[in-house]
Amino acid sequence: MALLEMRGIKKHFGGVEALKGVDFVLEAGEIQALVGENGAGKSTLMKVLSGVFQPDGGQMLLAGNPLRPRSVAEAQQAGIVMVYQELNLVSDLSVAENLFLGRLPPLMGYTRLNQEAQALLGQMGLEFPPEASVRQLSTGEQQLVAVARAFVQRAKVMVFDEPTATLSANEVEQLFRLIRRLRSEGVGVAYISHRLEEIFLLADRVTVLRDGERVSMAPLSELTPERVVNLMVGREVRAYQRQPHGSEGELGRFQVEAAGLAPLGLTLNKGEIVGLAGVIGSGRSEVLRAMFGLVGSASWRGTRLSGPLTALRQGIFYIPADRKTQGLVLELSARENVTLSVLSRLQWLGVMKAAQEQQLVKGWFRRLSVRPSDPERPARTFSGGNQQKLVLAKGLATTPQVLLMEEPSRGVDVVTRYELYALLDELARGGLSLLVSSSDTEELSGLCDRVLVFRGGRVVVQLEAPLDREEVVAHVTGARRVA
Amino acid sequence: MSPGRGGWRELLSRYGIVLALGALVLVLALLSPSFLTPSNWLNVLRQIAVNALLAFGMTVVILGAGIDLSVGSILAFTGAVAAGLSVAGWPPALAILVALVLGALIGLFNGVFVAYARIAPFIVTLAGLTIFRGATLVYTNGMPITGLPDTFNVIGNAVWLGIPLPVWITLAFLALTHFLLRYTALGRAIYAVGGNEEAARLSGISVTRIKLFQYAYSGLACALGALVLNGRLNSAQPTAGVGFELDAIAAVVVGGTSLFGGRGTVMGTFLGALIIGVLNNGMNLLNVSAFYQQIVKGGVILGALLIDRLFATRRD
Repeated sequence: MALLEMRGIKKHFGGVEALKGVDFVLEAGEIQALVGENGAGKSTLMKVLSGVFQPDGGQMLLAGNPLRPRSVAEAQQAGIVMVYQELNLVSDLSVAENLFLGRLPPLMGYTRLNQEAQALLGQMGLEFPPEASVRQLSTGEQQLVAVARAFVQRAKVMVFDEPTATLSANEVEQLFRLIRRLRSEGVGVAYISHRLEEIFLLADRVTVLRDGERVSMAPLSELTPERVVNLMVGREVRAYQRQPHGSEGELGRFQVEAAGLAPLGLTLNKGEIVGLAGVIGSGRSEVLRAMFGLVGSASWRGTRLSGPLTALRQGIFYIPADRKTQGLVLELSARENVTLSVLSRLQWLGVMKAAQEQQLVKGWFRRLSVRPSDPERPARTFSGGNQQKLVLAKGLATTPQVLLMEEPSRGVDVVTRYELYALLDELARGGLSLLVSSSDTEELSGLCDRVLVFRGGRVVVQLEAPLDREEVVAHVTGARRVA
Repeated sequence: MSPGRGGWRELLSRYGIVLALGALVLVLALLSPSFLTPSNWLNVLRQIAVNALLAFGMTVVILGAGIDLSVGSILAFTGAVAAGLSVAGWPPALAILVALVLGALIGLFNGVFVAYARIAPFIVTLAGLTIFRGATLVYTNGMPITGLPDTFNVIGNAVWLGIPLPVWITLAFLALTHFLLRYTALGRAIYAVGGNEEAARLSGISVTRIKLFQYAYSGLACALGALVLNGRLNSAQPTAGVGFELDAIAAVVVGGTSLFGGRGTVMGTFLGALIIGVLNNGMNLLNVSAFYQQIVKGGVILGALLIDRLFATRRD
């Protein structure tokens, strides 16, 4: 009998089927990798397991007993622990207190608590003091504390979702040691990662998901990195392929420096779309944020970009990954959002020119076919795709020369996505230069004139159109190394 | 999402406060014959003038996701300075101007700590509350300043076109604040900063400058309130304005402005101040004990927040 059996798990969000009846079987004392492209359903599947989402269909058995956690707490009670990227540690409590959190006896001296924690940490080869507050630790060390807690919680199943994204090489080694130790104590480990090198170091078996379905489950010994990439990408017809057009000459040069990033110089041509590829933590999003003056120090055509205002004046606009928390003021109307970056142009002695504002917004609504077409509705009432159009309209209203976009189609439905791509192509043909950072390799290979692949804070390779998606994936995951 | 259901909800959330005020007026009119007389209404408006002025400034701060606990103390300090300078022989007009500028500068002082040092507004203005109360006591030596020139009496008690001057001042400042929030680029930026500071920053709005302005505006409102209060009392009291911050916040909240910022109107705040004023006035007319009045007032504030909460959860 398997430790964990998930059978025919289904989950949909609105009209989107995220999981179409997925099986996942985990044995005790096994490390099973879960791989797939973005949106394949890995994280959704694990969130069903750990009680974050309720499945729409299918069943789960833990050691033969039916399992249906309605909350994370219930899942933990059953012995299923998920280590998130945002860690659920209490940062102002000490390491020891965090280790035993929820399991502290009513009265327990700190001396004994710290002794027990010290013993536990020592067993695992972790060297930070138990009385240190978690806040003082690095992100990587915090992650190790979260893993160590699994030993205290006596987890039966542990789930890791891209745990190494923010870790240093040394910390990765420590983490792997801990995970192997969990395995030797009979814990079942599910390990989600985009980095194939890690999977080939660590996993016993590999499950590949694509578009909400399991396409393969095989022992590691039967697989090669190339084979895994093939399985991830599948043989589907390429959905969107832009016809790259000739460059119209040089527009300018970015110089970027930021923490965790090798100094980068990037010459941008007029009317080209440049893709930035790489896993989370590879540095590609820091580059964009630096180019908008948000982190580090960057310059454009020799002018230092000290903040968003300077960047805007230089004709640079940044469209963040998260529309709801960074892109839009959800309570304001669509109109008020679209004109937020051009307020100074739409006023006379501080008073808004209402008619001119309405005209401007109406124009962008038509140009981008925003639906519904009423700009007075609050931004929160628009769908993901149309919200993205609102942010785009806000940026385009500033008449930028360079548009920085992060995850331009995340959470955007397929139909709107193609509209968006066609629009970006049209903008590029009109002379706008775009930098697109994305974790969607299909998007990058279909859209860009060239793609810079980031790993560990530096560009490891530049791929030119015509782009092959499998090659992009191979470089992003590290399956192919450039000599 | 049927339009019908969203419709009445939207309607209730927008006009609920008007309905509440209407219901309150109806009940009080039935219970007390003197309630609906014009002289009583002018009385209510005059009574709420100071609180309304502070609440208008507070609205601008809260819309930007801040809070200003120091309003009562700024009121006391600017009032004392205006009175002190006048008594010392300055031309009253100049003393008034100094008080208004001083109010704005003190607000700016709060704003600097909020915007640049990024200290929580609650803490900054809590410190301001005690600092400027202390400054008032130092300046006045703990004694009331009396013998003010006639100008203050005019501000507090003159009647123009049958309406007391404090009411005119309140309505004028209401109109100014409404115009600022509704029709200017600055007002738009305040809503944006309060609604989503990060999005506002990424849109190229200078968040620090907006915050400085909010607190300066609140400081200005306090000085205006101080002038009206000086006029009404014909003196400056060192303990003037103690606890006024709570009434001002109550008016803002009852008026439907979200304490998280980004949502609300100054018109709502005016209605909120009116509801609290009418409630006080009605309970006085009905001889309700001052002890019970406090309980009722607190209940009304809780009720208003509860309604706001119900609509807010729908929104998510």
